[in-house]
Amino acid sequence: MGKIWLVAGLAAGLGAGWVAFPYAIYQRRPQPVDFSHKVHAEKAGQKCEDCHSLREDGSFAGIPGLDKCAGCHAAPMGTTVAEKNFIEQYVTPNRQPQWMDYARQPENVWFSHATHVKLGGMKCEACHGDMGSSDGLRVYQQDRISGYSRDIFERPARLVSLRRTGGMKMDDCVDCHRRNAMEQSCLDCHK
Amino acid sequence: MTTTRRDLFKFAGGAAVGALLSPAPWRLITDTALWSENWPGIPRPARGEISAKFTNCTLCPAGCAVKARCVGAQPVSLAGVAGHPMSRGALCPFGIAGHHLPYHPERLRSGPVQRVAEEVARAMAARQTSEYVAVFDPRPGRTASWTYRRALHAIPGGLYIRPAAPWSGAAVNLDAARIVVSFGMPLLDGWGTPGNVVAAREHFRLIQVEAVESRTAAMADLWLPVRPGQERALAAALAGGTAEGTGIAQELVRQVAGELATNGPALVLGPADWPEIAELNRQCGAAGRTIVARRETPVPEAWQPGAAETGWSAVEDGSLRVLLIDEGAGGGDYVPWSTIERKLAPGAAVVAFTGTPEGYARHANYALPVAVYPEAVDDIPAAVDSPVAVFRLSASLVAPPEGLVSATDFVSHLAGIDAAAALRERADAICAAGRGRVFQTASGAVTALKEMKPDDFWKALSEGGCWLDEPDPKAPPPELSTGAAGFTASFAIAETRGAGLVSPLLSKLHEESHLRLGKHEVALHPSSGFRDGDRAALETGCGRILVVVRRDSSVPPGVVQAAAGADLIDLCGAAESARVVRL
Repeated sequence: MGKIWLVAGLAAGLGAGWVAFPYAIYQRRPQPVDFSHKVHAEKAGQKCEDCHSLREDGSFAGIPGLDKCAGCHAAPMGTTVAEKNFIEQYVTPNRQPQWMDYARQPENVWFSHATHVKLGGMKCEACHGDMGSSDGLRVYQQDRISGYSRDIFERPARLVSLRRTGGMKMDDCVDCHRRNAMEQSCLDCHK
Repeated sequence: MTTTRRDLFKFAGGAAVGALLSPAPWRLITDTALWSENWPGIPRPARGEISAKFTNCTLCPAGCAVKARCVGAQPVSLAGVAGHPMSRGALCPFGIAGHHLPYHPERLRSGPVQRVAEEVARAMAARQTSEYVAVFDPRPGRTASWTYRRALHAIPGGLYIRPAAPWSGAAVNLDAARIVVSFGMPLLDGWGTPGNVVAAREHFRLIQVEAVESRTAAMADLWLPVRPGQERALAAALAGGTAEGTGIAQELVRQVAGELATNGPALVLGPADWPEIAELNRQCGAAGRTIVARRETPVPEAWQPGAAETGWSAVEDGSLRVLLIDEGAGGGDYVPWSTIERKLAPGAAVVAFTGTPEGYARHANYALPVAVYPEAVDDIPAAVDSPVAVFRLSASLVAPPEGLVSATDFVSHLAGIDAAAALRERADAICAAGRGRVFQTASGAVTALKEMKPDDFWKALSEGGCWLDEPDPKAPPPELSTGAAGFTASFAIAETRGAGLVSPLLSKLHEESHLRLGKHEVALHPSSGFRDGDRAALETGCGRILVVVRRDSSVPPGVVQAAAGADLIDLCGAAESARVVRL
């Protein structure tokens, strides 16, 4: 009889640790706009760098501002509800969407997209996964304790995973630099 | 079925083991560590547009050009400016970490401004006719210096005091030198403008005369390990005397003297008040070749005449009723307090305008907080190795906090003069002179000043630009006169920095890596009997402080090498010898 309690406790602990905890640790918030990378890539023929561009000084412009979107969507181009809502709620009142950045690094990290993409020849997918072909934006998951996006720890392919899928922690950066025999020092990223 | 307490314990034990076999506890450790990075009070750089701003560093007289990478309005990293005619793209470790200083935990942020103003006014009213109201300007030649001179000219009993001037009106032209003999000057370790010195280093042979193997001695072509206290004797030997007692063989001295005479143009550097240095330079014809006359940066005629420049040696003992010390401009000469103290009248009011509680703030009646680099807007006079006059501004990259005082505003208010636009007035005076050229940092372009309008010139200066005078072909060679020679101490001060804020990160890197002696550390030869880390007292005729001993075989027996700070200069700066006593 005593073994049953022990096994039940073990199962409860494993369940809590592997299923309930990973679910509870993240706060979930939807992105402000139902945006489809796939539609923009396939129908409009756009490439990643058309919107996520590098500035003249090499710094990364990040998520495009409303001006960029309004260039095409000043008036509806299609018939989708998502586009109609976007124009009504953001373009017409000239209100910037409050995007939540899946890949936002902490304040003490200096990361150069130009160095990695232009000099290193890396593909966007190496860090950001198949974001470019997704049909909608994932719910943004923010760690309730650290405040970091879930994508920093792992790409949320599934709730329970024995193997980490992706991630943008310091260990991931160091691993990649080691694999590619690149120089690494503290001051490379922590200016 | 009844559930016993033992069953509950088994369940809890099983659950604990289960949890340990899951990612939860390990993730909680990581999350807690990351959470601690966001605690209140931890500085967070602003998010925003990335931009570059240009300024000039005021941490030392070199005034190197600086490019600040800013996120939003916040500078997050500093670097040199490529192509700059003087700093040549270089920036020293102090300059690279300069943007940390506004956040230094030991920085002064408040002071009794109103009480000081009343106290100074009372002291000025109580002044006897033989007493003075003085400003000590450790970094003369600035526009602020002219403001002090104007104000003190208007104040009854006003006296402007500056440190001893090496070869007044002259500068060193390292580019012209082919052989340089340096008597203890840290030529490759903070002397002059680092980028200019390193660039010129390729073209001259360096002979370092020093008792200890300093970093300059280690990088010199030849190091003459002179016996401590015999430096002047060796200089006299090079000028034709005997080398006996200096620790250097007569034959080697003869060889170096021969090099000076035949491999010129030559330059001899050393303390300005040693007549032997002036004599050596005279013998090797340095005046007009490697030591050149330099005009002063133009000043508006309306500012003339200001109070005369006075050295400490010319100030009568017990004559200062009010002494205001502008210690805010970093990198100035720190004069030992014992030299200043005897000049004060009984009950004198002494006010230090400073950003640090070290330095004169320890001795003054009051310390008032001032803006620090890169908050302060100031100009930087030409460095010792700039053959021509320059004018450049340190722009404000960080907004200064509330409650700070401006020393120039305080002094000009005492005299009732308006100096709020002094920098612009001086820029206009330079523009009116119409000579020289302007280096523009953002574009790297060099433009003749006569082609610029005053507003454009001011704009270029505000964006980190630098005006460079043209050489004066009619200027006679400078006179290498000397003042009264002092003594030579039988111990070595390793770092010549006085009081001033230094980035805590920089100190940690340099001191914990043992690249430099830490604060209150002394280095002794292993034969001294001390062990690494022994606690001891460093004693001179001026007092004692507690120190930690480091054994260093490069320090000759009988020599104490100390890392200078303001308190060590106070202790050692006016002492001929020191001793280390085991505690």
